[in-house]
Formats: sequence, C-alpha cells, structure tokens
Amino acid sequence: MNLGKLITENLFGKPDQLTSAHRFYFKLFELYIVYETINLAWEWGLYTLKISDVVLPLGIANLIDISFMHDNYLPIINAIAISILLVLSFFRKGSKWQYAVVFVLLHFQYVARFSIGEIPHSANLVGMAIFSFAVGLAAFQNELHRYRFIIGFTIFYIGLGYFSASISKLIGTGPNWIDGRHLWLWIAEKSTDILSREGQFNYNFVQITALKSIPAATFMLFIGIATEFFGILIWFRKLRPYVALALIGMHFGVMMSMNIRFDSFMIELIILGFPFPELYLKYGDQIKSYFSGREISI
Amino acid sequence: MSAKKKSIQITLISFLFYGLLVATHEGEYWPFSIYPMFSKAGNPWTRALVRDVSNSTPENLWNTTTIDELNGNPVSMKSIGVDQIDYSNFVSKTKDWDTKRIKALRNMLGEEYLTTKDWMIYKVHGKLIGEDSVVVETVPILLFKSDTTLFNPNFSSEYFFSE
Repeated sequence: MNLGKLITENLFGKPDQLTSAHRFYFKLFELYIVYETINLAWEWGLYTLKISDVVLPLGIANLIDISFMHDNYLPIINAIAISILLVLSFFRKGSKWQYAVVFVLLHFQYVARFSIGEIPHSANLVGMAIFSFAVGLAAFQNELHRYRFIIGFTIFYIGLGYFSASISKLIGTGPNWIDGRHLWLWIAEKSTDILSREGQFNYNFVQITALKSIPAATFMLFIGIATEFFGILIWFRKLRPYVALALIGMHFGVMMSMNIRFDSFMIELIILGFPFPELYLKYGDQIKSYFSGREISI
Repeated sequence: MSAKKKSIQITLISFLFYGLLVATHEGEYWPFSIYPMFSKAGNPWTRALVRDVSNSTPENLWNTTTIDELNGNPVSMKSIGVDQIDYSNFVSKTKDWDTKRIKALRNMLGEEYLTTKDWMIYKVHGKLIGEDSVVVETVPILLFKSDTTLFNPNFSSEYFFSE
C-alpha cells in the first residue's frame, strides 16, 4: 500500500459500520464543539462591545472594514444567530449548510473581537472542527461516510497544525530554536503578562528549574518541538492514542513553563485521540458483567 | 466515486484553499493557521502594564526602571475585565498615539476608573543580554488622568507619532 492510500485508509477508512457506541461518541464530540462555539461566540461578542478601534486587521478584516461590528450590538446579534443555528444544526433541523454559515459568522466574530493586536490560537481547533462539520454535512448524506469524513478531516488538520508549528520554528529560527535561553526570554515575557493580569506573579517549580539551568531549559524546548514535529503521526490510527497523549503532555508542559493554557485543544485531543467506541465495544460487556449481580460496599 | 476518494479529494481541495489563505495573510486566517507563534526565538519583546500612581510623588514618575522598582500600585487587568494580551498588544503595536487611539485605550480600560485614579501606562521591554541573562525594563509612556492624558516628557514627539 502506498503512503497516500495508507493515510486515506487511516483517516477515512473506519469504522466498518456505525454502532450505537459510535453514534453516541460522535454526538458527544459534536455537542462539545457546539458548546465551545456558543461559548466563544458570546465571550467574543460581549468583549467586542468594549472595542472601538482596529489596530491589527485579521482575516476578512484585511478586505473589508470590520469597524462596522464595533460601537453597536452587532456582535450580540451575531452571537444569537450563531447559537440558534448551532442548536438547530445539532438536531439536524434546517439546511445542511447551516454549519457553513456558522463558520463564516464565527470568523466575523473572531476578527471583530481580535482587531487590536492579539492573535490567539486557543480556539483554532474548535474553529477547524466547525469547518469539518460544515464540509462534512454539506458533502455527505450517508451517516457512515459523514462520520468517517468529519472525524478523519478534523484529525488531518490537527496533525497538520502541530507539524506546521514545528516547521515554522525551524524556518523562523532554525535548529538553534531549542537554546534554553530562548525559554528564559519567554518565561520573562509571560510572567510580565501574568503580573499585569493578576497584579502579582510567582515562578512555579518548572520555571525555576528552567531558569536555573540552560540544559534543563534546552531539554524542555527540544521535547516541545519534537512532540509537535511527530504530531503529524496522529493521522495513523494505531499511533493516535500515543501521539495524543504526548501532545496533551506537551500542552501541560507549555502551561507550566509559560502559563499558556490550551484547554479546548486538550479536551479535543482527549475526545479524538482515543478509540472510545471501539474500547466500549470490546470491553463494555466485561465491565457490565463485572458489576452485575455484585453488591458494592460503600 | 467512492466515499474515501471523495473524502481525500475534498481534503486536498480544502488544503489548497487553506494554503492559499495562510500564504497571503502571513500565516493566519482564522481558524486556518501555520501556528507561527514562538517561531522567532531570542528576539526582544515588548509587553505592557498599568500602575495606579495616584499617590506617587511626581519625582522619578517618568523614569525608566526595572520591573522591581515600579512606581505606584499594580492594576490587575483581570479585576477591570480587560484581556491582558489585548491591552499589551494595543500598547506595544500602536505607533501613532493620536486622539482616537488614546480615547480607544481609555475606553478599553474603563473611563470610570480614571475619574478618581491616575493610571500610568508602561511599556515593558525584555531582551537577552550576554550569555546568560534576561533584562526587563519598564518605560512609562502615558499618564491617564481624569481630564487629560500626559505623554512622557523624556521622549520626543517622534516616539509617540512615528507613522
């Protein structure tokens, strides 16, 4: 089997048939994405009410003047529209294009909110998942094909994202990127952010370890970039749980060393990184029979 | 066409679309991204802080200091409902402090706080020095008072209007 076929098979080849476990798992994933998206739409919408100037136009704001979303209640109206469309889409009421409309409206919400300099990435995986639902629901009618595509397509972009992050570092700085002193500089930068946000700041043990030793800081950066580089292996089903675990570990490390949280990335990796329906089908009966007929002392 | 073939075709077309958008927008077209954050290591950085200097003496108010020698009391962005990264980027990326931009920053921080407090806007610069140290210095740039905004007199107008 050539590499292209192998990747296609790993991303879009399973499951052979949809069981109740797969349906439950899929709707749980969809529910999480719907919840996160509604949350983001409102969080961004409410915050945009405070914004009255465009410092750094992003995305579509490079083509049109996004200030029409400022100094009025359009962000709130947009959040209401996104919420209604998402709820209808979750229950498959209305058009198959609704997720695509949500995707566009959410992009407007993002560029209106982040027009004053910040380019956050914490919501990118949620946005990519909405993109997957938008394309998957519009392109596939058969539920099995829809399931395979939406899960596989989302995983494709997760792997690609981590891989491109490592390549960006190698192009932007080169192999010298892992020099531990670079981590010192980022720790100082992030500690300034925390000081400004909270009014106070204390280093944790990971940061103290990195700041005390260049080799320790270098090792941390090496583990980080290596994990990102091999993140593309999440495309392969058998490696997926191990890669997901490594990526979750990396995010935990980033949180400890640089105070940057990627909660939605970690939750999405937990949901998509492990074959929960297959595990349930394999071990569900054993677990049920273990508990049936037993009295559990409490 | 088989579903697998259709899936890979759609994926490749979307990838082309993705590549086109990020290539023409410096790597970012939300939610498409090449995730370039932290790609340029070792570069000096600039962030921002706010301090309440209502009770500080005017002497040395405009001096550049280290982060441990700051005047006044901290103003937590969280406590005033402002996103720290937003604030920091607003201050560090603004090259032209015209009336509109100053009004936007005062509005973002909350004009209501400034009726009773004097808030100093600081830029914080960090850089690597020599083989093994990071230097962080704080530069007061604007003082927000209830009825006016003062510019740091130690800098020429070019510093505030460089665009």
